Amino acid sequence: MSAEIDITNASLRFRIYRNPSPGLKETFVQQFTQKHKAQLVTEFDALKDVNLSLRGGDRLGVIGLNGAGKSTLLKMIVGIYPPYAGQIHVQGKITPMIELGTGFDHELSGRENIYLNGALLGRSYKQMKQLEAEIVAFSELDEMIDLPIKYYSSGMHGRLAFSIGAIIDPEILLMDEIFAAGDAHFVQKATHRLMELFSNSQIVILVSHDLEQVKALCNQAIVLHKGIIVNEGSPKEMVDYYLKEIVHLETPELPSLVQPMSSSLS
Amino acid sequence: MTVLDPQNPTSITDPVLLEKSFETISSLSNAAGTQAIAAAPQKTSFFSFTFRAISELRFVKFALASFVINNLRRRYQRSVLGFAWSLLNPLLMMIVLTSVFSLLFHRDPRTYSIYVFTGMLPWTFISESISTGSLSITAAENFMKKVYIPKIFFPLVAVCTESINFALSLVSMMFLALFVGLKLHLTLLLLPFAMVITFFFTFGIVLALAVSTVYFRDLTHLVRVILQSFFYFIPIIYPLSAVPEKYAIYFQLNPFTYFINLYRELIFYGQFPTRHEWAIPIGLTAVTLFIGFYILMKREKDIIFRL
Repeated sequence: MSAEIDITNASLRFRIYRNPSPGLKETFVQQFTQKHKAQLVTEFDALKDVNLSLRGGDRLGVIGLNGAGKSTLLKMIVGIYPPYAGQIHVQGKITPMIELGTGFDHELSGRENIYLNGALLGRSYKQMKQLEAEIVAFSELDEMIDLPIKYYSSGMHGRLAFSIGAIIDPEILLMDEIFAAGDAHFVQKATHRLMELFSNSQIVILVSHDLEQVKALCNQAIVLHKGIIVNEGSPKEMVDYYLKEIVHLETPELPSLVQPMSSSLS
Repeated sequence: MTVLDPQNPTSITDPVLLEKSFETISSLSNAAGTQAIAAAPQKTSFFSFTFRAISELRFVKFALASFVINNLRRRYQRSVLGFAWSLLNPLLMMIVLTSVFSLLFHRDPRTYSIYVFTGMLPWTFISESISTGSLSITAAENFMKKVYIPKIFFPLVAVCTESINFALSLVSMMFLALFVGLKLHLTLLLLPFAMVITFFFTFGIVLALAVSTVYFRDLTHLVRVILQSFFYFIPIIYPLSAVPEKYAIYFQLNPFTYFINLYRELIFYGQFPTRHEWAIPIGLTAVTLFIGFYILMKREKDIIFRL
């Protein structure tokens, strides 16, 4: 089955509560002091009228400033954040490499966490049994794999998380700034594996601040700014547009910081 | 892939781009909506919502199993006897209580203790499930913001974990009952059925409270106090007949009494519960499940923003 993603006029609204977890008392008191009610919530649109249509072979790069809504877009596609307007239609199995290592249980051993994490990705015990040896080998944790992961260093933790996430060839790959932790040797190996994942996936969405990477890996790109897709096109054009229009626009008083960056990239 | 935002001038500066986006829009409308996974708020009926919420669980069934197993494992981790504690723990507690009862009360301590346990074990299951389960969604905040997981997952994990403990403590009680010479009746065969009803009844309450706790965080303190006081308002350590007649009606209004009654009939008295005694708990289960799923339906798309 061919993977596809269609997003039609999707908007996502966050509500920021001054008091995110009101107690019963506050709620009760509020009934009598209506005037404060309006001030307690501020709404802002994290994504506004987003339209995307991706088919097999599409490698989409998403670029934008911090807080532009890049990660939120991925999380909306996964289904974590439901849009308040518009439609999202996804066909195909999504492998989100968004926050690797989510769901690790620190009391359990690395090996047990392989199964737990696999289960969270919808894999059965049997399926994980077949992948286990490969994951352990890839992570290079050797005998450490049977220790509770609370004793792991952050590098080891990252290696295990990456190995589990990267072992299965996905139909749809969502990547958010993960470029593996670990020593130079592991990073090289992981980068190689990522390239494999890239070419084996039907659809890839890559969120990255590494503009060279976007240019090298993607065949199309969008620029997100304040939750709006402000431009789309070839990765090279978009990177230029982003540097010229957005980065420059947002930091007019600091041209010295922007200049060397854009010159090195162009 | 398209850009279309009439309100925003930046996106329509490029005429080629604009043209392209209209093309994409028209192609989109052809392909639109065969299986939308997340749509804008639309009217769904209660039953289709519930059906979807439950069928979503098939994607996480392995995760459900591993969460429950890990919860149980963690409880007795690093102990020498390991999992045996889940049998020993209730057994030891019951032995202590039996000895205390035999000192305090002038009843036959052996049968009296089994009488108490047939009430206490289901109540422990219900109250433990409620107190851990009502916090389950708020506690899983970090989780739910990072991976997509159905909202009923964590309440379900809490109730499943407790129900396995419940089953194991019932087994320990059977040993104790055999030991003190209580006859085991054929009615025990209906025990799984009673447990299934209790499971869903509790799950409904847990679901409703877990969602509500997201909105009212101090609900958990209220719940804890209520649960504690209910221990004394349910005929657990005394029979219903000991309640003065003018108050008896209030005890009969207590929904938990009917569940405990099932276990008492099946295990202690060895009688088949009457049709009436089955119908009330089943009806109450339908009510709590309805309330739980109804609250979830109303709040499902909002919860994540409130965590």
